[in-house]
Amino acid sequence: MRPVARRATPTSGRLGPRPGEVIDRARPLRFTFDGRPYLAYEGDTIVSALLAAGESVFSRSFKYHRPRGVLSATFFDPNCTVQVGEEPNVRGAHRRVRNGDVVSAQNVWPSLRYDVKAANQAVGRFLSAGFYYKTFIKPEPLWPAYQQVLKRFAAGGVVGADDPHGYYDHRYAHVDVVVAGGGPAGIAAALGAAEAGAAVLLVEEEPHLGGHLRYGGPEALRLLGELRQELADAKGIEVLTDSVATGRYDGNWIAVHQRSVPGATERLVKVRAGALVVAAGLIERPYVFAGNDLPGVMLSTAAARLVNLYAVRPGTRAVVLSANAEGDAVAALLAAAGVEVAATLDARRAETVVAARGHGHLSSVETSQGRVVEADLLVTATGWTAPTSLLNMAGVRPTYDEAAARFVVGAEPSPGVFATGGLVGDASPEGLVAHGRAVGARAAAAAGCGKGAVLPELSPGPHPALFRSTTHGFVDYSEDVSSKDVFQAAAEGYDSPELAKRYTTATMGPSQGKLELVNFLGVLAEATGRSIGELGTTTWRPPYAPVSLGALAGRPHEPVRYSPIQPYHEAMGAKPLVAAQWIRPDHYGDPDAEVRRVREAVGLIDVTPLGKLLLVGKDTPALLNQLYVNKWSALRVGAVRYGVMCAEDGVVFDDGVCGRLGEDRYLMSTTSSGAGAVWEWVERWLQTAGRHLDVYVTPLTTAYASINVAGPASRTLLSRLVEGVDLAPEAFPYMAVREGSVAGVERCVLWRIGFTGELSYELHVPAGYGLFVWESLLDAGSDLGVGPFGIEAQRIMRLEKGHLIVGQDTDGLTQALGAGLDWLVKLDKADFVGKPELVWQANREDYDRLVALVPTDERTVPPEASQLLGIDGDIVGRITSSRHSPTLRHPICLARLAHHLATPGTVVRIHLPDGRDVPARVAETLAAYDSEGVKLRA
Amino acid sequence: MAEPAATFLAEAVHHQWTAFPELSNLCYVHGRPAGSPAATVTVPVRPERAELRVWEGIEMVKVGRAQVWRRTSGAAAPHRYSAASLVRHGLTHEPWPRVWRQVPLRPAYDAVIVGAGIHGLATAYHLAKDHGITKVAVVDRGYVGGGNSGRNTAIVRSNYLTPEGVRFYDRSVKLYEALSAELNFNVMFEQRGHLTLAHNDSSLRTMVWRAEVNKLVGVDSSVIGPEEIKRLVPYLDTSTETRYPILGALYHPPGGTIRHDAVNWGYARAADALGVEIHQGVEVLAISTTGDRVRGVVTSAGEIATPIVVNCTAGHASLLCDMVGVSTPVVTHPLQAAVTEPVKAFLSAVVVSGSLHVYVSQTDRGELVFGASTDPYASYSTRGSLEFTEELASHVLALMPGISKIRLLRQWAGLCDMTPDFSPIMGITPVEGFLLDVGWGTYGFKAGPASGEAMATLVATGKTPELIAAFDLARFAEGRLVGEKGAASVGH
Ligand SMILES: Cc1cc2nc3c(=O)[nH]c(=O)nc-3n(C[C@H](O)[C@H](O)[C@H](O)COP(=O)(O)OP(=O)(O)OC[C@H]3O[C@@H](n4cnc5c(N)ncnc54)[C@H](O)[C@@H]3O)c2cc1C
Repeated sequence: MRPVARRATPTSGRLGPRPGEVIDRARPLRFTFDGRPYLAYEGDTIVSALLAAGESVFSRSFKYHRPRGVLSATFFDPNCTVQVGEEPNVRGAHRRVRNGDVVSAQNVWPSLRYDVKAANQAVGRFLSAGFYYKTFIKPEPLWPAYQQVLKRFAAGGVVGADDPHGYYDHRYAHVDVVVAGGGPAGIAAALGAAEAGAAVLLVEEEPHLGGHLRYGGPEALRLLGELRQELADAKGIEVLTDSVATGRYDGNWIAVHQRSVPGATERLVKVRAGALVVAAGLIERPYVFAGNDLPGVMLSTAAARLVNLYAVRPGTRAVVLSANAEGDAVAALLAAAGVEVAATLDARRAETVVAARGHGHLSSVETSQGRVVEADLLVTATGWTAPTSLLNMAGVRPTYDEAAARFVVGAEPSPGVFATGGLVGDASPEGLVAHGRAVGARAAAAAGCGKGAVLPELSPGPHPALFRSTTHGFVDYSEDVSSKDVFQAAAEGYDSPELAKRYTTATMGPSQGKLELVNFLGVLAEATGRSIGELGTTTWRPPYAPVSLGALAGRPHEPVRYSPIQPYHEAMGAKPLVAAQWIRPDHYGDPDAEVRRVREAVGLIDVTPLGKLLLVGKDTPALLNQLYVNKWSALRVGAVRYGVMCAEDGVVFDDGVCGRLGEDRYLMSTTSSGAGAVWEWVERWLQTAGRHLDVYVTPLTTAYASINVAGPASRTLLSRLVEGVDLAPEAFPYMAVREGSVAGVERCVLWRIGFTGELSYELHVPAGYGLFVWESLLDAGSDLGVGPFGIEAQRIMRLEKGHLIVGQDTDGLTQALGAGLDWLVKLDKADFVGKPELVWQANREDYDRLVALVPTDERTVPPEASQLLGIDGDIVGRITSSRHSPTLRHPICLARLAHHLATPGTVVRIHLPDGRDVPARVAETLAAYDSEGVKLRA
Repeated sequence: MAEPAATFLAEAVHHQWTAFPELSNLCYVHGRPAGSPAATVTVPVRPERAELRVWEGIEMVKVGRAQVWRRTSGAAAPHRYSAASLVRHGLTHEPWPRVWRQVPLRPAYDAVIVGAGIHGLATAYHLAKDHGITKVAVVDRGYVGGGNSGRNTAIVRSNYLTPEGVRFYDRSVKLYEALSAELNFNVMFEQRGHLTLAHNDSSLRTMVWRAEVNKLVGVDSSVIGPEEIKRLVPYLDTSTETRYPILGALYHPPGGTIRHDAVNWGYARAADALGVEIHQGVEVLAISTTGDRVRGVVTSAGEIATPIVVNCTAGHASLLCDMVGVSTPVVTHPLQAAVTEPVKAFLSAVVVSGSLHVYVSQTDRGELVFGASTDPYASYSTRGSLEFTEELASHVLALMPGISKIRLLRQWAGLCDMTPDFSPIMGITPVEGFLLDVGWGTYGFKAGPASGEAMATLVATGKTPELIAAFDLARFAEGRLVGEKGAASVGH
């Protein structure tokens, strides 16, 4: 393989001091590139420093591995993407060198200079657009192997599994006007808006404000100086540089990605703005001709940036192809900077470049006049692309202006959204400033500040339509798509912009078409004999520039909840269980022993995560009647009732109890996982169908610590600590609620209910006293054998008792009657949520039932989700819950089962995950333990 | 109309592709060609003999009892793609032929299929190929594959929850495995393995449920533990200290990804080659009926007479149904997705986390493709939101903390035709001739081949194939929902 020729450069490519340079020659920095040491000045980009040191190749292209050098010298330069330390895909023409940076080329094998895959260039003609769709079809078994080869061509840097996360931050901002783009028009818009009294956020992608003025001539620099001074004096403008407005979402919700923030890796600023002014300027368009990707071929703005900002000489002998005044100025600039300008081609007089030649670097240029000019620099100035991305996101459709050969938008394309500068038209810098100022004032007025201003005229000037010369060259550099590929796509029938884009992948790479889109459309128009206007364009989607996942994510923010009793659980070494937002004790070492304790003596479980809603108001029974499937009108003060809620489709949604604490005061409990959803559900009904109801809802889930005291000795234990409540069974029966004090803590709610099947009391105590009451109970009951029990023991006991868990023993299709809740559903109620569906269900037979199953083999606990099989092997149901019962000493299960088998005594086949089948018998009742409920009512 | 010969042909096709890879232009021949063949070649293939008989413009391959006919000339002969043709074109610069023709709209068709997404195109392809019905127009208001079929994250799998679902999607996976050869278009199906992570015991239970049903239907799925997960996806944080510890996963080796555009184009090209017409930029504005029968469609390019209209319009499905007064429970929700810049390959499997509402895979190009659940509200907006990307990023980083420096490149959205049970609606409606192939929601790309095959049979025979019988519209009125939410709400 032929190594890339190192370019003949002067010993140093650095020029003498330039008036607008951004480098600090007093502060040298060291970095390495592909293992070699280099020097930079502070302010240098990686690429400007390497260019100054005589390097000219920064990457290998995606498909053909062609050597590539600087093209636009901006963030969107497709050829300057490098790896910096652990960070992949760094834009080398934008990123400032930091001392000690370790930079390496991407997509090279084995090295930038000797790249073996460059052999693909030789077979390039076979790798035309969409080649992979046409081959590797046969033989099929080999496709995975081909695919592995294709994958190795993936461009891009590397990430490591254990790379540090970095510190990313989010910030919210609320301003009147966001100005995206800090060139002359953008700065002026910010000034115009601020003068009207608006709070302004001015966002600039480069590290300095000024846009094209920064690398312009003395006049431009003078104007920039004035604008900067004015900005420094203005009030109400916050400037963010090295930051980019990446997205505009509905309601002027604007994302700003701040790339260099003191103390953080990056930051995402989320801005709600009254008005948005887009002043993104113009992006210079490359020109398509043979060899247009050779290192040494670059845009006129790239040459101007290198010379004026970084004092880097981009070449020694140049050819300039110019179609505009900016190009002409760069020709002059180069000459003044000591570059020999060997030829200037005037595109306005149909002079053009036919081909650029060279091995690994430009060495000569073939012109349309048939001349071959030796040169190591070819500068093109053939037109502009309007980066309308943010406007597209606001629903604006830019129109193609044939005479100007670019897309344009009006200054006020959509309510609250404004544009100024090059996006709207061409003018002198002063003209742009005048327009920007007026647009800023109008944007401020739209945001409610000031009276606006009269808009000066701004429209695009004529420009020759130049997309492609007489030869084929690259349209999309990062995707290695040539104009020939686009022609081919059109000929094959992929002849609309969307199809051709997808087929060739043009504009789909890292710069998302910022440089390539209009050339792509121009070439497609040429290939299909249509105009760009007729073709239309593809849609620019967010983000405007890529944003790191870290910045989008911000600081890791996944809060968890602990109950106030957590210190105790931790001290006891409880095994934690992640249950939605909560971390709860699964068990304290031996769940079976915990079950025995509750069944024989007394145990405590921390049930703080249970959802708790306080409902106050005289219409609460009406609300409850609407949301629960059972009746609530007759609930007496001091009584508690079990209730089930269904969604409109009759599917079981949540269950819990609700107690009437006082005349108009109710406390509702929900499942732990349903707490948030039920609150929203209640609110939703109150705010829609129930707006006339007098009910106020207060979520109290975390205001109370909740403790269930369960077991035959629970009454004895409580009698030692409870005051103000008569605990005698007649005075405080099953399904009753009382308020009183526990261990001296007042205003506790006690209800007598029992998920475990034992005599039990649920205490809701003010959260701050949760741990105290818990420990008091343990102290007071030590002689009774009291101890804690966890979720696992509770699950075993509720299963013994046949109590269902919504979402486990029911699923997304289980309507109430299929959950064994026939006894609860009151279809004679006037109305309730889900009633029509349940009436319908009540009139049929064929729905699955919830049953208890007892496997005949007592040693096998069928895992949950084991399937139940019918005679011919069809699936007739599944195990929803299963455990070994320490109380009954045999396996117990709840299952969903097809209706025709759901009769007690039927034997079904359980298919275990290990492949074995075991028989099981349908039990008489769901409860295997105390099915009469004697213990509960003791 | 030719009599259906699907099973016969399926068998023949199988032989054809194993025996004669270079034969492509499969067709169904009405009657026999006149005269004796110009040439007959006999090729020994295991275990039988194959015979090639050549007539003017037509040839037949006979393998055992099966025979396959193909046209060897004429406009409908598609140009064959292969490595050899790529080389030939590279050398000769001979232009490639069009993938599908551009022809004027005719006044009448045997069937009009609305929507040139995978469902419309696959249905048209199978109508022509399996049933010889070629006077078919596929019309689309935009371009081929411009709807959800060009916006999806291209995950193909069959690890669903209900036996009906698993059986149906499994048929599609089988068809996908042979699709590149079938269409002579590389659709880049990569069976990279599909992992659905469980972060709590209830999702672990759902994974076991799915695995058990899958196994019983004959689909390869199992629940694996953190160690095996780490081995398959080294970048996942499988430590137990995380907020969302990984307790296990449903592992489905046949699952993977495909190149969506290639599937769309491949079907369009193959259908076109068989005589189907594809009309881009033609919008259906109304459907005309006589009594309860379809008579034709009114389009932006004029009226067309047809006895059959197949609704394959995904996000616009309910709008089309409104045109004939068919009521469905379909509600359109946006579904967003996003892609990053490329990085070198580090993730081979598809990873889904239901609890974290995110899934991710890495393309051959090195980009990470992300998706999530639908937006919670009904809408026809495809603009996307910032919140989506923020949540996506934080959840992906919770799973793979090492990749925070990768940059998000592009986000987009499609319009999903959601049903209450997360299963599709395929089949007849109260309006005769108006057929539904909708309700594909967030999961329908993988279904294209199987539904195309079945819908074509329905159109051609008037009988609903067993495979899709459970997915009829009447199930909503009759309470026969096919609940797939547990297997389709996040991982698509
Ligand atoms: C972000 C996203 C990710 C997804 N991920 C996956 C995935 O990983 N796996 C998976 O299997 N599925 C996935 N899906 C779902 C899948 O994309 C769709 O279910 C599938 O593509 C539907 O195909 P279709 O042919 O029915 O519809 P579409 O491809 O949407 O085609 C419908 C066509 O109908 C046309 N149309 C509409 N109205 C009219 C009219 N009046 N006249 C004429 N034409 C009309 C439209 O222009 C459109 O082209 C995803 C979807 C989205 C949006």
